Amino acid sequence: MSIFTRSRKSRNALEQEIARVRSETDQINRTTDEITRITAQITAGLETQINAVEETVSQANEMTASLKETAGQAESIAGSTEELVSSINELAASIEQLTANATDLAAAVNENAAAIQETSASIQSVTATAEEIAASAEQTATSMNEIAASIKSVSDDTDALNVSVDETAASVEELTQSVQSVAEHADDLSTAADQTSSAINEMGASIEEVTAMAESLASAVEQVSSSIEEMARSVAGVAQSAETISEAAEGSATSAAQLDRSIHSVADLARQADEVTKGIARDAQESSATTRQSIEGLLRLRDSMTRSATMIREMGKRAEEIGSIVDTINLIAERTNLLSLNASIEAARAGEAGRGFAVVAEEIRNLADRAAQATADIAAIIRALQEAIQEAVASANDSLRIADEGSRMAEDGVAGLDKIMSGIEKTSELVSHIARATDEQLSAGQNVVSAVNTTARQAKQVTVATAEQTRAAQEIVQSVAQMRKISQQVTQAMNEQSRAARDIIKAAQNTTGLAAQVRQATNEQTKAMSQIAQAVEAMRRSTASTARALEQQSTAVDQISQETERLARLIANVSKAMGEQANAATQITAATENMRRQTDQLARAIQEQSRAAKEMTTAAQNISKQIALITRANREHSTAAAEILTAMSDIRRANDRTALSIEETQRATVNLRERAQAIAAALDRL
Amino acid sequence: MTERQAPFILFQIADTTYAVHSEAVQQMEMVEHITPVPNAPPFVEGVVLSRGQVIPAINLRTRFGLEKKPYDLRTRLIVVRSGERTVGLIVDSAREFLAIPPEAIQPPPDTASGMSERYLEGIAILDKRLILILNVDAVLSIAPSEELHLAEAIAEVKDALLAEENPPA
Repeated sequence: MSIFTRSRKSRNALEQEIARVRSETDQINRTTDEITRITAQITAGLETQINAVEETVSQANEMTASLKETAGQAESIAGSTEELVSSINELAASIEQLTANATDLAAAVNENAAAIQETSASIQSVTATAEEIAASAEQTATSMNEIAASIKSVSDDTDALNVSVDETAASVEELTQSVQSVAEHADDLSTAADQTSSAINEMGASIEEVTAMAESLASAVEQVSSSIEEMARSVAGVAQSAETISEAAEGSATSAAQLDRSIHSVADLARQADEVTKGIARDAQESSATTRQSIEGLLRLRDSMTRSATMIREMGKRAEEIGSIVDTINLIAERTNLLSLNASIEAARAGEAGRGFAVVAEEIRNLADRAAQATADIAAIIRALQEAIQEAVASANDSLRIADEGSRMAEDGVAGLDKIMSGIEKTSELVSHIARATDEQLSAGQNVVSAVNTTARQAKQVTVATAEQTRAAQEIVQSVAQMRKISQQVTQAMNEQSRAARDIIKAAQNTTGLAAQVRQATNEQTKAMSQIAQAVEAMRRSTASTARALEQQSTAVDQISQETERLARLIANVSKAMGEQANAATQITAATENMRRQTDQLARAIQEQSRAAKEMTTAAQNISKQIALITRANREHSTAAAEILTAMSDIRRANDRTALSIEETQRATVNLRERAQAIAAALDRL
Repeated sequence: MTERQAPFILFQIADTTYAVHSEAVQQMEMVEHITPVPNAPPFVEGVVLSRGQVIPAINLRTRFGLEKKPYDLRTRLIVVRSGERTVGLIVDSAREFLAIPPEAIQPPPDTASGMSERYLEGIAILDKRLILILNVDAVLSIAPSEELHLAEAIAEVKDALLAEENPPA
């Protein structure tokens, strides 16, 4: 009686413990599901993050392209382009590393898929087993009902009681055996719980690691976002200065246009001056010719004056000769007069005889007087003539002097005109030089205008490129903000996961403790069962077992039947769950297959990316060869971009590590789930 | 009448016309070479050779107390005889042989010095020309003390004749 009660109590306790174990297992399952869900979320978040990183990288590459575009116009980007090339090389190396990682990932996924398929197969076999168990449980339930019916019939019949007792004993023995097997299973369960606990611990550690990595990822993302914001500000500053440069270039263009107009007007003036100077030169040449003609005329005048003066002097000489002749005539007249006087004296002395002679002498004297008178007149005329000649000679000398002075002055004038001519020629030459120079200036000015316009256009292009850069930087900033949010979410999720992992660990510890308790209880049960066996033996010996006991037994059998039914229900549930699990496994398989395809595509895409990165590197190297100088701002941008890319690579590596850790987590979760299933199966078997 | 018309040689000294009798004139010559004579009186220019005889040449200007003037084409040497002496008179010019009727000759006018009466035979006025008829002998014997006054005397004569001929209205 007391033993039976104890056995019942023990059984009840066992059932309670089993129920607790079941609930704990369920909790473990739920927690595992939650972990799976969280892991899926993390994976989705990571994918989003990877997408964001890829987007960031593509935007960074876009910005790098934009920077290169800017570099074509700015002269001081070369160095930074080299750095950019090196960072692209780093990127390429990182991409190659990523490719290797992706290849590894693909292999791992393949392995995983194989394992999942195996798992799926084993799950299906388990499901089949579970269905078989269910069928047998159904059969057991039927037989138990039959047993119950028979026990009820036995309860009416004592003979049947013995048999029933025997059967009971046998069944108790079976039960004992079953309990022992339960004990063994409980041991197994304990071991499994220990293993689960250790796996959960591993998972917890892995999750902690992942959390730490997520945090470092978050800090890296923070750094990246701050440097990207800095870069965005710098790019905005560059855009502003590019606008200022563009405005200055516009101003320069306006000034150059003004300069061009001014040069045009100068060139017109120079041409006018050239024409005027040439006209002056022609006038001066004409004037010079006229003056030379005047000088020649003056020289001819002088010659003719000289000849006139010579002739006048000659005339004076002739007049003097005439004067001397007149003197001679005068002398002759005087002598004639004297002779006639002497003749008159002699005639007077001769008296009457000399009278005729006296008359002749008288006539001779009269003739002589008339001759003297005429010569006196001639002398007077010649004196007047000589005075006139003297005056003519004086005036001719004056005229000669004046003509000399005139010709000298004219020669001076010609010399002055020559000087003027040479001056005008020099001036004309200079003016022609000026005209040529202004023509050259004209073309140079037009070159300046076109160069300034080109500069303005390039400045505008730079402004547009910088504006694009600014937009790209803003987009990067937005992406980075999104990434930061995702990273924070990841960190939060990891924290939740960590918390859940801790809960799992706690639950696993609880499970372990419960398993130990189950084992203890099972041991006690075993002990109780041996006592029960003894009691049944005693019961068998004492056939006067009470109907109440049988009734109770019957009740117990009913209970067992109920339990069996419940077990059957549970098994059916398990079977259903296993079916669902099998479906889930199939889906997992399909998903894994999909994942493998995606991984392959990813690997291919990464390889293409790697190739593209190499081509980009080659192109960038070519570009870096071509461009000579790069602006300092762009260098800073490139440095920032390099840092960003490096940080991106770090993020990507962290993501890879995170993915690995998640995989481990998933593996651990699967393991855990298997363990939980094993527990459930053990429990079912119990 | 014709006989009575005595012929004269007219000559000029300092614009005054003088006359000498042609019968007193041996010949007339132009002044050519005069040989100066030492210690001769101032009016004696020297001696000249005329028709083979050496005769003294007297400058009548100097003799009349007038200034000398250079010889020219009209300067004449009138060779006159005075007694036994033959003398050459140097005058400014002598170009006329003129017969002066006696009624045209008047006695020289009285002058304060009385000098003209000694040297002039008379004066003649022909065709409103005043002609002083010279007394050659008197002229040749002029004392040296009188020389200075002769020009004055001649001037007085001329003035007196002019006053007589052109009486004040």
